[in-house]
Amino acid sequence: MNGLFPNAWHVARREYLQRVRSRSFFIVTMVLALVGVGLALLPLGIRMLEGENERHVAVYLPDSSVPAATANALEAVLDASAGADGPDYVITTVDDPGEGRAGVRDGQLDALLTIARAADGDLSYLLYTDEGLTGGTPTAIRTAVYQVSVGDRLQRAGVGAEAGQILAPAPVEVQQSDPGAIDPEENFGARYLFAMALVILTFMAVITYGTWVASSVAEEKSSRVMELLITAATPRQLLGGKVLGTGAAGLTQYLVVVVASILGFAVQRVLADRLYGSGGGNQIEGIDLGVLLPFGAFFLAGFMLYATLYAALGSMASRQEEVQQVTGPMILVGMIGYFAAFIGLNTPDAPWIQALSLIPFFSPYLLPARTILSTVAPWEWAVAAIAMAVFLVAALSIAARIYAAGVLLYGQRPGLRAMLSAVRVDR
Amino acid sequence: MSLVVDNISKRFGAIQALDGVSFEVEPGRIFGLLGANGAGKTTSMRIVLDILRADSGSVTWQGKPNIELPRDTWGYLPEERGLYMRMTVMDVLRFFAALYGVPEEKATREVEDWLARFRVPDYRDRKVEELSKGNQQKIQFIASILHDPDVLIMDEPFSGLDPVNVQLLKEAFLEMRDRGKTLIFSTHQMETVEELCESIAIIDRGKVVVRGSVRDVKRAMGRRVVRLATDGNANGAAWLPELEGVRLIAQREDFAELAVPDGTDPELILRAAMERGERVTRFEIADPSLEEVFIEHVGRPAAVEEERHLAEAGAKPTSAEEPAA
Repeated sequence: MNGLFPNAWHVARREYLQRVRSRSFFIVTMVLALVGVGLALLPLGIRMLEGENERHVAVYLPDSSVPAATANALEAVLDASAGADGPDYVITTVDDPGEGRAGVRDGQLDALLTIARAADGDLSYLLYTDEGLTGGTPTAIRTAVYQVSVGDRLQRAGVGAEAGQILAPAPVEVQQSDPGAIDPEENFGARYLFAMALVILTFMAVITYGTWVASSVAEEKSSRVMELLITAATPRQLLGGKVLGTGAAGLTQYLVVVVASILGFAVQRVLADRLYGSGGGNQIEGIDLGVLLPFGAFFLAGFMLYATLYAALGSMASRQEEVQQVTGPMILVGMIGYFAAFIGLNTPDAPWIQALSLIPFFSPYLLPARTILSTVAPWEWAVAAIAMAVFLVAALSIAARIYAAGVLLYGQRPGLRAMLSAVRVDR
Repeated sequence: MSLVVDNISKRFGAIQALDGVSFEVEPGRIFGLLGANGAGKTTSMRIVLDILRADSGSVTWQGKPNIELPRDTWGYLPEERGLYMRMTVMDVLRFFAALYGVPEEKATREVEDWLARFRVPDYRDRKVEELSKGNQQKIQFIASILHDPDVLIMDEPFSGLDPVNVQLLKEAFLEMRDRGKTLIFSTHQMETVEELCESIAIIDRGKVVVRGSVRDVKRAMGRRVVRLATDGNANGAAWLPELEGVRLIAQREDFAELAVPDGTDPELILRAAMERGERVTRFEIADPSLEEVFIEHVGRPAAVEEERHLAEAGAKPTSAEEPAA
């Protein structure tokens, strides 16, 4: 009966079922899932609120020598240069410039463009707008009218039908020197955001679910069920079961929220494709199994490491109110990893970041982040994994000793000294 | 082979909680561990259970050191009651049975059996928090015996129970003894000890001040007690002081309690009464009560401690918790 199992299973099972069946767990999980879905749908919502991102430009053609088709040509040029992600230009022709100006003033139009023919035969333009000279619409129109003018000049020079061909963009084929390498300049921003998201998720999970473990232990102590427990099972079994059960409950919540968010994201992409054409949806760069698997493994191991120590510290608290106090050191350690990850994200190849990323308390933050932003050598993974395993075994043993001593201590605020002497006692 | 507690000592910081405590419990017997609060009863029990380690000394059961014994040797009812409040009675009991390796089916049967015996069969699917304190205590007792332990260690099992439940628990104790189990319990209630225990140890300030069979402990007081009632109300108050060695312990409402030292024939009192023409309506020779033994060795009555203890715990010993058992 002195092995970790099956008693750790019994403890874990009770812990898991009690937690997952509780009303507060259900409510919090649902709220977090809704928040996740909401965040995933946010880009689409913003886009819809912006009214499909249309720009309305009126064209006034006072000279009959300017063909009415110029307006269509302008629209084609504007839309072509804006691309799929850019705004959609809608060009209308007005017969009364006063009406157009009024439209610009009351916000119905973004600009009024008057196209006339100057004395020398060239086209001349007058742009009436409330935007500055460097605003989106004026800039786009100034670029576009150049093409219109060139087309017009070619027409008048008699080139005629070939004008479109002359103006067509020349195809350029790009050949990369190293196709396997990802151009960091191009993707760094998106990857940085992804890495940051992983670091934040890890930090929140460790702190939140670690506190769950600690307060669960403190609750058993304050409800005095603890004395029965330690008569029935060893501290190691109780501790291991508690970490596994709470971890599984935490993971359940985590997965529900993450899956809901990913589904939300997928729905967002499908909707965006429908509404704005293929490629219109946002995409996250760099998600693949090569990142997610090690992330998952180190996330779990890191959680267990933190949670085991959280449980030990929780055993020193006599009441719920003391839990925050006694788990302070763990939050501090978690914060160090968190901030190191944030600093390290900008310089993923700095030697101190590389060294820190092998240390168990910090590797769950830093290794996945480094994988996304740079490369991690296989030996680094191995060293970090071995170190993690050693720390886990040591943590369970030390925590079991603190726990064995802590659970019978009531009333006194156990300081570092009490904890150290508990660790030294052989039992 | 008995349970032998041999010379155990334990120190918590500046406090010497136990100082060379020794006692022995015969298998299949009920043993009472008496003492004021803070005397060291709970610490002794925890050391026997190997929840705590003694600084020195040893505990053996059937010749084996307790640290080598499997945990299911012991059944423990801690003084501070505690269960998982939000679980149902059946779930919480199955959980503890599972920790001791009892198969779920067997545990279920046993639980139903015990709930019926405690006359609360309909509690199996109730949440623990819905039960009264007395009933929670029954559940806790069941939790401590589901794995059929050889030795039952019960810390203040009767405190906070109403008389009906005290009786039920006493019956359960006797039942366990008849099954061949060994029981050790601590209490402040001397009548219960007199009723149940073959032998006792009294602990005071971490030391065993007296131990042995109840009868030997009483005899070791070196005196017997005579309860005398006569027709008149004086109960011999006038002439009793003339008798050599006889001491009036208490003048009760309708009888006098007298201490007679060993070597003096208690019947001397009876003869003296008859010589003086008194009509004797009660004459009883008895050993001193455990209460007296306790006071003699500890210097203050156990009940005083009990009351203070209950006041601290906020428990009501005679509250009517039982809905018509």
